[in-house]
Amino acid sequence: MAVATTAPPAVRPRRRRILYHVFMTLAALVWLVPVLWMVSMALTPNDALQRESVGLVPNGFTLDNFGEVFTVGHMLRWFLNSLIVTSAATVLTVALCATAGYAFAKIRFTGKRLLFALVIAGLMVPKEAMFVPLFLMFSDTGQQNTYQALFLPRIAFPLGVFIMTQFLSRVPSEYEEAARVDGAGRWRIFWSIMLPLARPAMASLAIFTFVLTWNDYLWPLVISTEREMFTVTTGLASLQSNFAAATEVGSLMARGLVGSLPLVVLFLLFQRQLIRGITLGSGEK
Amino acid sequence: MTVTAPHTGKPASAASGVPTVRQRPWRTGDAATGLVFLGPFLAVYALFVVWPVVQAGRMSVYDWDLLGFTREFVGLDNYRRMLWGTAMTWSTGHLAGLRLLVLAVTAAVITRRLRRGAPAGTTAAVGGAGVLGAAVLGFHPGAGGGWNDAAFWTSLRHTLEFTAISTPILVGLGLLMALTLHRRQRGTAFYRAAFFLPYVLPVSAVTLIWSFLLNPDRGLLAPFLGFFGVEPIAWLSSPDLAMWGIVATTVWWSVGFNLVLFLAGLQDIDPHLYEAAGLDGANRWQQFRHVTLPGLRQISVLVAITQLIASFQIFGQVYIMTRGGPGDSTRVLIQHIYESGFRNLEMGYAAALSLFLFVVMAVVSAIQFRIMSREA
Repeated sequence: MAVATTAPPAVRPRRRRILYHVFMTLAALVWLVPVLWMVSMALTPNDALQRESVGLVPNGFTLDNFGEVFTVGHMLRWFLNSLIVTSAATVLTVALCATAGYAFAKIRFTGKRLLFALVIAGLMVPKEAMFVPLFLMFSDTGQQNTYQALFLPRIAFPLGVFIMTQFLSRVPSEYEEAARVDGAGRWRIFWSIMLPLARPAMASLAIFTFVLTWNDYLWPLVISTEREMFTVTTGLASLQSNFAAATEVGSLMARGLVGSLPLVVLFLLFQRQLIRGITLGSGEK
Repeated sequence: MTVTAPHTGKPASAASGVPTVRQRPWRTGDAATGLVFLGPFLAVYALFVVWPVVQAGRMSVYDWDLLGFTREFVGLDNYRRMLWGTAMTWSTGHLAGLRLLVLAVTAAVITRRLRRGAPAGTTAAVGGAGVLGAAVLGFHPGAGGGWNDAAFWTSLRHTLEFTAISTPILVGLGLLMALTLHRRQRGTAFYRAAFFLPYVLPVSAVTLIWSFLLNPDRGLLAPFLGFFGVEPIAWLSSPDLAMWGIVATTVWWSVGFNLVLFLAGLQDIDPHLYEAAGLDGANRWQQFRHVTLPGLRQISVLVAITQLIASFQIFGQVYIMTRGGPGDSTRVLIQHIYESGFRNLEMGYAAALSLFLFVVMAVVSAIQFRIMSREA
């Protein structure tokens, strides 16, 4: 998304433009102060933080907090859990949404309209509301504290199907016609024509799903009760209610940063896709 | 590549017309192929979206112990416990402001529908529902009585308060940020990234920062306010202020989402309109007033309702930062569901509460669909 494409460059006095940028830079920095402060505390020794924690410049400097993120406590396990669950959820979500989207967009069969309306109705089911029956479903089958319990409910994502359907229905049918004349079957058309064309939408959906799943809190809290099966999000939350929260602030902040790192990296690399995922999902361009 | 600029329709318009493709039917069974492509999704959808709703309905009429010792049919007892109390009376003055608001909104909707010549049957139904809703809100426990589950009403009130406070701030600030970034040349990508970054952080990382930030002894906010002569405030341990601390946290965390939506909406405004307005001699303020604002109508409705739905489902920030405290002063609805089910082990009652949340959300979403499909 290029912000400035529509803007006819208004001729503005130079001074006003500089003022604008000074103001906006300040605003952006103020907005980032909590994150900067977090970094500063993560670089400060724990005992120094007990005396004094106010200040954006580290009071003393150490990398110990980062060094022990994966060696002390469960953080490494949580990190791997999150990676496994989030990757599985992302891959499966995109696969299911792409196939379903293709069927809705390009295949004619009776009952399609009804099915599509049913999926759209699913947009109205609040994702947080049904965790009680879902929990019973998994605990009755002995699947508490398993990986599949963490990601399976996530992959039924009606919004993703909606996005893929919208996107694929805009692929001109001539592509398909031509391939069919050449003797290609459904799967071949789907695999070698539709999927490559749908890559932008799938990338957006994937990034969006990754962020949402990594940040899931309520469902992992409900279904994973054993410490070893926490995710980064529930694990970090469990540390905050600890006594250590008062004495080991530096370590805690380092863990918070490391736990957020995959998302920040994704954000920096794929900001455009993420933003498009959000706008596609809302039904806007 | 031809498909670089996906333009999607509105959800509601898609619901009424699946995009159909003009093509000769395939020779071999298309229904079968369709089912193969759709099958996997439909299976998980039925299992993890549709079935839980049905199951919640079933559980809600049972006394259903989590550990499985009791499973007794109790009819509507769970609903009576949630929504009713002892020594109930009805009075005109109870919640008068809220009920007048319900009536006023109903009246406004009916007037609009009449003016547009909408189907009379539906209009009557809308009117009936509004009046009935306003009437039902008049019930409350009389002298010596009380709600069966006072904590439900407390958590519902806090959820509504949080929604009422956070939604206007999140929508308004998101719009303001988008306007400052729109139609500028350089640097906007950096500013947008800065405002949007917190959105990708996990909720527990956000609460980690903000619990400390708001701490009166160790946080950054206290010395900052102290500069203006304000004594350190214990935000999260004060019953009156804790909710504001949570609102501030939420705004910082998620306003970027609305900013992005508003920016997209601003870009959808036809640049020729600005050109034309410029040619007609409109200054920047007039362009804003007559081009930007009208162009933002639809996206504003969308952002506001999406935000309403998101705010109503608040849980993580509250549960991690205050556990609903101090006292019960920040307890919210999802926390009440969670604790009914997993602390008190009453799954049947928790299911009834979930269905309440479900119905509220579904009604709001349905209204969103209506508005969106009309404007599309």
